[in-house]
Amino acid sequence: MKPSAFEYHLAASTNEAVDLLAEHEGDAKVIAGGQSLVPLLALRLARVDHLVDVNRLNDLGEISANGRLRIGALTRHRTAERSTLVRQHSPLLADALTYIGHTAIRNRGTLGGSLAHADPAAELPATLLALDGEVEVRSARGTRTIAAGDLFTGFLSTSLEPDELLTGLSVPLWKPGAGWSVQEFARRSGDFAISGALTVLSVGADGLIDEARIALIGVAPTAVRATLAEQALVGQHPAEALWSSVSDAAVADLEPPSDLHGSSAYRKKLTSTLVRRSLAEAASRIGAAA
Amino acid sequence: MNRHPVHVKINGVDRDGYVEARKTLVDFIREDLELTGTHVGCEHGVCGACTVLVDGQAVRSCLMFAVQAEGCEIRTIEGMAGPDGELHPLQAAFRDNHSFQCGFCTPGFMMTAASLLEEGPLSEDALRHELSGNLCRCTGYQSIVAGVMDAFERVSDSTGEGGR
Amino acid sequence: MRFVGESVTRVEDRRILTGRGHYIDDVRLPGMLHAAFLRSPFAHARITRMDTTEARNLPGVVAVLTGADIEAVTVPIQVMPQFPDFNSPVYQAMATDRVRFVGDPVAIVVAQSRYVAEDALELINVEYDPMRPVVSFEDAQDPNCPRIFDDIEGNVLYRSNSTHGDVDAAFAAADTVIHETFRQSRQANVPMETRGAVADFDPGSGDLTYYAATQSPQGCRFQLATYLNHPIDRVRVLSGDVGGGFGLKGPVHREDISLAAASRIVGRPIKWIEDRNEHLQASGHARDEQIEVEAAVTSDGRLLGLKARLLIDQGAFPCLPYAAVLFPNMIRDLLPGPYRFGAMSFEGLVLATNKCWNPPYRGPWEIETWVRERLMDVIAHRLGMDPADIRRANMFDGDEEDRSITGQHLAGITSRQSLERALDLAGYSAIRAAQELARREERLLGVGFATFLEAAPGPKENRVIPEDARVRLESNGHLLVMTPQGPHGQGHETTLAQIAADAMGLPLDHVRVVHGDTRQTPMNLIGTGGSRASTWASGSVMVTTRKVREKALGVAAAMMEIDASDLDIVDGMVVPAGAPSKAMPLSAIAMTAYLAPETLPPGTDHHLEAQETFTGDGVGGSGWSGGTHLCVVEIDRETGRVEIVRYVVVEDCGQIINPAIVEGQIRGGVAQGIAGVLYEKAAYDAEGQFLAGTFMDYLLPTATEIPSIEIDHLESVPVEGLDIRGVGEGGALVAPAALTNAIEDALVPLGVTINEQYLPPSRIMELTRMVPA
Repeated sequence: MKPSAFEYHLAASTNEAVDLLAEHEGDAKVIAGGQSLVPLLALRLARVDHLVDVNRLNDLGEISANGRLRIGALTRHRTAERSTLVRQHSPLLADALTYIGHTAIRNRGTLGGSLAHADPAAELPATLLALDGEVEVRSARGTRTIAAGDLFTGFLSTSLEPDELLTGLSVPLWKPGAGWSVQEFARRSGDFAISGALTVLSVGADGLIDEARIALIGVAPTAVRATLAEQALVGQHPAEALWSSVSDAAVADLEPPSDLHGSSAYRKKLTSTLVRRSLAEAASRIGAAA
Repeated sequence: MNRHPVHVKINGVDRDGYVEARKTLVDFIREDLELTGTHVGCEHGVCGACTVLVDGQAVRSCLMFAVQAEGCEIRTIEGMAGPDGELHPLQAAFRDNHSFQCGFCTPGFMMTAASLLEEGPLSEDALRHELSGNLCRCTGYQSIVAGVMDAFERVSDSTGEGGR
Repeated sequence: MRFVGESVTRVEDRRILTGRGHYIDDVRLPGMLHAAFLRSPFAHARITRMDTTEARNLPGVVAVLTGADIEAVTVPIQVMPQFPDFNSPVYQAMATDRVRFVGDPVAIVVAQSRYVAEDALELINVEYDPMRPVVSFEDAQDPNCPRIFDDIEGNVLYRSNSTHGDVDAAFAAADTVIHETFRQSRQANVPMETRGAVADFDPGSGDLTYYAATQSPQGCRFQLATYLNHPIDRVRVLSGDVGGGFGLKGPVHREDISLAAASRIVGRPIKWIEDRNEHLQASGHARDEQIEVEAAVTSDGRLLGLKARLLIDQGAFPCLPYAAVLFPNMIRDLLPGPYRFGAMSFEGLVLATNKCWNPPYRGPWEIETWVRERLMDVIAHRLGMDPADIRRANMFDGDEEDRSITGQHLAGITSRQSLERALDLAGYSAIRAAQELARREERLLGVGFATFLEAAPGPKENRVIPEDARVRLESNGHLLVMTPQGPHGQGHETTLAQIAADAMGLPLDHVRVVHGDTRQTPMNLIGTGGSRASTWASGSVMVTTRKVREKALGVAAAMMEIDASDLDIVDGMVVPAGAPSKAMPLSAIAMTAYLAPETLPPGTDHHLEAQETFTGDGVGGSGWSGGTHLCVVEIDRETGRVEIVRYVVVEDCGQIINPAIVEGQIRGGVAQGIAGVLYEKAAYDAEGQFLAGTFMDYLLPTATEIPSIEIDHLESVPVEGLDIRGVGEGGALVAPAALTNAIEDALVPLGVTINEQYLPPSRIMELTRMVPA
């Protein structure tokens, strides 16, 4: 399990990184934390001719909260998980980060890397969807933003062009009083979840649900939003019975994959349970401080 | 072949190497620096046997390329005991609690635990969670958990040597 | 005795804790090359063409050897052809014309580095003509399926049939016959250190030095000499620290023979360190077995008789030298366990399939415990009895005349005591009360327990394979103890030193245990395995040390002019009875024996060295290790997750050398048993493709999955002499039974019978009919 040979380029600046990507377009891959990429290289399930290392681009490691919570792509999971800005402005993200692998993985893994890798079983793609976030990408041609809903195009694939570098993500600042929940089920702690549900829930002055966002992990080629369930929640009184009915609706149209860890039918049932539990937990946190 | 110079400070000693870009950090440490205390268990980032401290943080050295460690400070199991051979409290606690059998996973557990010691005591549940990134096939973990809990106590009891 | 019975810290620990262990991948020789194996991607196929040109031309590649190249310089393998009724196929160290499982080695690349060797693997061009794979029990028994070995008719390699007692009468007298088929899944040993070796053939001397990660250095040497047709005096095996084995590293693997042959061809040292993907796919799998059982029982819960039919899927090749045919008769003999019933019929089949081979895995006969203890619970549930009562009704007391239907002499067993003690310690009635409450809240709480016997060493009449030790008193008065054992985590350097220090009368640090060098250690093909070390290695060290002590006292007697019977050795001093002031250090005795033997009276035996054989004489006690494990679980009915709330062990392994080491063995075994139920499966698909090639697929439990395990020792008092019994396998033997019994107990309200061992959350949900199967 040794990677095949490649040319290594240590980018000294973001400009240099995107120039390298442009120069070797299609033959180059970005390495940040490497926690997903290196195993694929070691197993020779992936191979690259050119590896562009962005680990020294310190300007991609900043966290700010001016109007939106913005996190540089090179921010390590562990840094973001312990950031008071992240906890304050996006408790869902702060919680979701703790589910990623183990501490040694999070010490090295980056937020940008997890999003660009686009694993449907991973936490961050679903989190970005649940938060209606967006990513910033840059190439020698310029910069653009991609909304979460447009980012994940398939299993381990995104709408980033081969010459584009994901430079950061941003999410709206937390709506005061909104409740949240991360519910995952994995066979061992630290594993990719068999499935999971991430929920944001808020109620208006009338006591009715005015906003509901549910993103699901591990049930489709990409992380997905449970839009029908979200619609069914809005305008309703928060109640146990509602969570049950909505959780069944949330999975009705899903055809999750089967693998060694569980059949499609199992994933579907499990996801329904997790949606229900996440709704109940999110509702219990409505009005609580993040 | 495309090779790169690498300079690291490992266990306080400056060392240089000249490596192929694809060489993993753990292979560099074991083969080029001849520090074989760090072990290779899975090469895909699951078992934790290769855990070392890079700039003070526990990382999987099978998931880093050696070239990426340029300029970094690395600590491995060989750097745990004092220069006089005196065991680190963690090593002594592992010995006294029979925290291993075959010993192959031990360096990884030690380095993970060393990073935890820096941050202070944990409950047993929290500790088990932190240790769940390292696999042991021999012990059933109970003696490892006991060893690290014991080390927490030893470090807090002896402020003099705990911070090492 | 000063050291036996104490949890002394381990001699091994300092080097391991400081990163100075010597594992196989730490071996580095001048001029050493690195090997990688090309492995079959097909379960069953003919090799129609192989082209290695491009690989050989890659810079850094020294040699690319095919199966044919290795075949030309090795002896074909045939394991235990003399075993009665075993159709033992002849096979090669590497595939030649045909591949027989996914992972079957077809070529070996020797290169400057493992990186380059793996590059070269991708340049070898092999064309395969796929054949129908033999994957399931049904396939293997189907005469229309292709033969895996042309020289063997069909794929049933072995069949054993026997009848004990009057089976027809037992079933005629039954009130109820319970019929179940209990199925296990493939699991694997998976030590944290994979397989590996460095083969160093020296063309100048003709010596082959083989650095091995082995449980049996002498066994490794013997097999290498045999299959390389190399004079055994020119084969030396060296083994340092071994990073776990659990049975896997007892066998000699086809890769070992191929690697040694490659070194002999190339004339240079070659290292092979298996990667984890190869390891999971091709090193070995076990437990792919089932027993179909019929039990004749009375309405009051007495077991009258059993009919059992065992199937073992051994994979493609019989494991060298421990073919799976060794196990059916062991399973048969142990199946009745500690229970009294009068009749049993048994059929055991060993089947060849297109899967990885089947080396021993910690308690290779484990299915006897699982099926028997599962069956006891099934009977209890069918009859509406408490599982404790059904055991009480059928269990032997360990009386002198107690003998199971398969002839096992059970005098002295403590099964009943262990059962009662476990129930007591756990607070069984309180657990049942808690279960009642839980059931009212629709929570699934269950308790299960199981009792096992481990023949380590077994009753006197069954003890067959002796073991030697060699012991030398050095000139400084320290003792060298040389053992053929191949420890891989059990701490032999400590426990055998405890034995020797007490037997000689030395401080612990005056004893050094030497293993892993076949030029120093006595011959013994088994090495470490079968929980033999506690009894056999300890016994051999004890009798041999006593011999050396006798010799040393003979020299001392001559020097001190005091009769040897009036001398004792205490803490390294030779002390005359009643005259402690006249004591002499043992070192002075030894120094004289080595450097000035001419000063001793003629006829004094001054050779302070001995090799003695331990035959089991002087072993007291029942010879049976055993105990009862009890487990409490709670199952989440919505996700299928099984949480182990409590795990209690009551164990009797006789006299304990080192309690901390014994408890480590128990906990480690329990963890592996739990893993086989909840986490681990070496899965294949219907085409024989292997599905669990990474640690993301083959799930070893972590610190969050294995609970704290409470241990109580019965430590039955030795009646006479040495009574140290093996403890390596018990945990793995009985944990699956205790856990699956607890799971079924939790699911009783849902009417679920557990007849399969592997129960991941998804399967629990299928069994409870929460999701369709």
